[in-house]
Amino acid sequence: MDLDKFKVHGEPLIYGAMVSIALATIGILVGLTYFKKWGYLWREWLTTVDHKKIGVMYILAALLMLFRGGVDAMMMRLQTAAPEMKFLDAQHYNEVFTTHGLIMILFMAMPFIIGLMNVIIPLQIGARDVAFPRLNAVSFWLFFMGAMLLNISFVIGGSPDAGWSAYFPLASLEFSPTVGNNYYSLALQISGIGTLITGVNFIVTILKMRAPGMKLMKMPMFTWSVLITNVIIVFAFPVLTVALALMMFDRLFGSQFFTMANGGMDMLWANLFWVWGHPEVYIVILPAFGIYSEIIATFSKKNLYGYTSMVFSMLIISLLSFLVWAHHFYTMGQGAMVNSFFSITTMAIAVPTGVKIFNWLFTLRKGRITFTTPMLYTLAFIPIFTIGGVTGVMLAMASADYQYHNTMFLVAHFHYVLIPGAVFAVIAGFHYWFPKVFGFRLNERLGKHSFWWIVISFNVTFFPLFFLGLMGMTRRTYTYSEESGFGPLNMLSFVGAVGLAIGFLLLVYNIYWSTRYMPRDTTSDPWDGRTLEWATHSPMPIYNFAIVPTVQTRDALWSAKQDNIPLYDDKKITKIHMPSNTGKPFILGVIFFILGFSLVFSLWIPAILSGIGVIVMLAFMSFDRDHGYYISAEEVIATEKKLKRGETV
Amino acid sequence: MKIDASKPLEYSTEENSNKIFGFWVFLGAEIPLFATLFTVYFVMVNRFASGPSASELFKIGPVLIETFLLLSSSFTIGLAIHAMRHGYKKAMMVFMAITLLMGLGFIGIEIDEFFTYVHEGATLQTSGFLSSLFVLLGTHGAHVSFGFLWGAGIMIQLWRHGITPATANKAFIFSLFWHFLDVVWIFIFSFVYLKGLM
Amino acid sequence: MMKQLFPIRHVMGYLASLVLSAAALIVIYGDLSSGANMAVLLITALIQASLQLFVFMHIGESADSKKELYINIAYALFVGLVTIFGTLFIFVWGWYS
Repeated sequence: MDLDKFKVHGEPLIYGAMVSIALATIGILVGLTYFKKWGYLWREWLTTVDHKKIGVMYILAALLMLFRGGVDAMMMRLQTAAPEMKFLDAQHYNEVFTTHGLIMILFMAMPFIIGLMNVIIPLQIGARDVAFPRLNAVSFWLFFMGAMLLNISFVIGGSPDAGWSAYFPLASLEFSPTVGNNYYSLALQISGIGTLITGVNFIVTILKMRAPGMKLMKMPMFTWSVLITNVIIVFAFPVLTVALALMMFDRLFGSQFFTMANGGMDMLWANLFWVWGHPEVYIVILPAFGIYSEIIATFSKKNLYGYTSMVFSMLIISLLSFLVWAHHFYTMGQGAMVNSFFSITTMAIAVPTGVKIFNWLFTLRKGRITFTTPMLYTLAFIPIFTIGGVTGVMLAMASADYQYHNTMFLVAHFHYVLIPGAVFAVIAGFHYWFPKVFGFRLNERLGKHSFWWIVISFNVTFFPLFFLGLMGMTRRTYTYSEESGFGPLNMLSFVGAVGLAIGFLLLVYNIYWSTRYMPRDTTSDPWDGRTLEWATHSPMPIYNFAIVPTVQTRDALWSAKQDNIPLYDDKKITKIHMPSNTGKPFILGVIFFILGFSLVFSLWIPAILSGIGVIVMLAFMSFDRDHGYYISAEEVIATEKKLKRGETV
Repeated sequence: MKIDASKPLEYSTEENSNKIFGFWVFLGAEIPLFATLFTVYFVMVNRFASGPSASELFKIGPVLIETFLLLSSSFTIGLAIHAMRHGYKKAMMVFMAITLLMGLGFIGIEIDEFFTYVHEGATLQTSGFLSSLFVLLGTHGAHVSFGFLWGAGIMIQLWRHGITPATANKAFIFSLFWHFLDVVWIFIFSFVYLKGLM
Repeated sequence: MMKQLFPIRHVMGYLASLVLSAAALIVIYGDLSSGANMAVLLITALIQASLQLFVFMHIGESADSKKELYINIAYALFVGLVTIFGTLFIFVWGWYS
């Protein structure tokens, strides 16, 4: 076997990363052994099927990936900060922008959102868990192993380097001979399967497990947004699955899908990628809309304005999101008729989105607004996202797009959409729901400091890119000459990036500080919330609700507090059925990881063995006859008493 | 677990009916999956480069046998579910066994067909058309093969535990899967083979 | 017992799908225009698919999720058809020439 292909050569930076990864791994292993935490880790986390813990693990993984993607971003901004920089060479710059995009979209934004929905959705609909708790654990471990597979590409074999969209023919074996794009196809495939399972799971959970009385049109807006998001996931991800499989066939087995000869069609990749890719944008943005809707209603002390139109605009967005994909490649060679069609559908999306913006503004109108940290992010989101949306309509015009296409203008546009539309939202949601999960709030003063750093630095970083794009700077160029005149604005952008890094470090420091010093919240309802998740204790017991609540109005808890509409019909506590923990999803994830790794390096024998391993694991799971256990009524009553006294259980 | 006696066994608990509903949603995801494979095939069908074209490659004989086997197996798995609802364990097992055997026959013929193609020099690497053909047929065939293993596993559980809410639920979900594979095959039969031979 | 084992509706569905598959063969043995051939394929395939869906898979049998199942299938077909015809629109019918 040729060991050489496992090695990554060249940069002191990479050697440094290898050493630090090795040291960190050893540190974790030694730490776990020294503090005797292996059993705890296995019992409480690796085998858990509890939606709250799975959600927390998703969010932890997402924060880790935010750090990794953020370092990539800093490296890119540093490399382009001045003309003729020698920090990274072209190849490493390619790898860095590729992994930055992949990680931020697929391994940061999506898991962060899936994490929040894992924690919150069952609580918000008054359910004890998701519909299929074990499949939920499978989802998480497949996502996690996919993410790890992509991350080790950095030090074993080389990262993907053809952009996060991996256009052919560049991504073909001929032009990208390293294993980088094998990692791309397999890591995304594995985590994509996990995401698809999440989609199925949450559709069933939301449609079938709502508290009695919670009709569809009485669901909280976050639940609605998550439902629609999961519908998009279920119908869009199979397209990615196929595209990635074809890519794998091309690269590993010499098929002719996207090749330049023998009837292959390189542009078909771009087409399939964006058939999935555009709905993907809405997969990360719609839940954000839901989070903002909750936060605006809570901190304006008002019902959400235009509930019905909010729901319908999301439904329309979900349908339209499947009809616009060709706007990502107007310049590819299709005729004017095609471009006109996709131009119009793209602009049409601005209408339902505009409806939502106005609904938020009308919710704010005459509200009693409190400027908490999550509310600040929400208020910053509205104007910044609007800039992103308006520049999107500019890009949507096919004829004008011939000028903007693949310039920094585009880069600025999608950061103006995705950062307020996804990152601000998950940070806001993180601040908002943090006390629900941990029983104390994050410090507001530190939170606001990091907010101002992030929001100002964001604009300093990305606003100059609009002008760089209009000046003609193309995206993904690793350096430029002094005469181009791109220098000053790029330097300004780098300064902004440093500010963003400070903002995020403050956020992390806030988590640390608050964990140590923030007073414990005894009310379980620190924000004077409106929806059911605030009706149980913080942190919530494993069974979520001792008695399943009954819902009569949209903001069930608010009505209970304001108008004394009772939340519980039945005061009697009965035994509660719970799913038992299982290690099988984790083991399945590990086998998938081995399978992916073997395929990346074309190691056929381990690949076949682990493929059989997957089937065997599935059979084990099918033959499993463990149908969970019951928590007795007495135990529930005892737990409730303890929780009411403010003790932890 | 609460058992609702008014419903068929496979729907009788909340968990069971959620599983059936969830599987339908999953089948909903399979539709765009196969639609994408068809998309690729339709774009590639005339891009056969120096290899054979569809009309040169296809022979109707084996395709008709495959179609008959799959249609009949879809019929027998339906009969198995009817037998299950009447509580006839033995009849159900027999119908399931027939179903799986016909599935096995289908896979055998498909593999033989692939060998013939490769023998004629029509491989995955030959042309865009053949790549898309092999992957479309192969994905369907892989589903059938997976279904064979899955169905066999369910038969073992039925044989061990009889028709219970849990096994009935599994068998019913399996039948949905098997019928769905037949639906996909109908489209392969019509728009790959017949259209190619037209 | 035979009636319970071989419900008439089910047997008829099976026979119908066999007949429809045979009828579709007209596109290779008959002498129709290619447009008519495509129409034959579409009609026979669609009827057969619906037979599976309604007769064999009992899509309408569960009262509490019937509506959701229909929406699910409709949405899936929407995405599938948009993918197929949108791609053909881009690469075949609408390609710049």
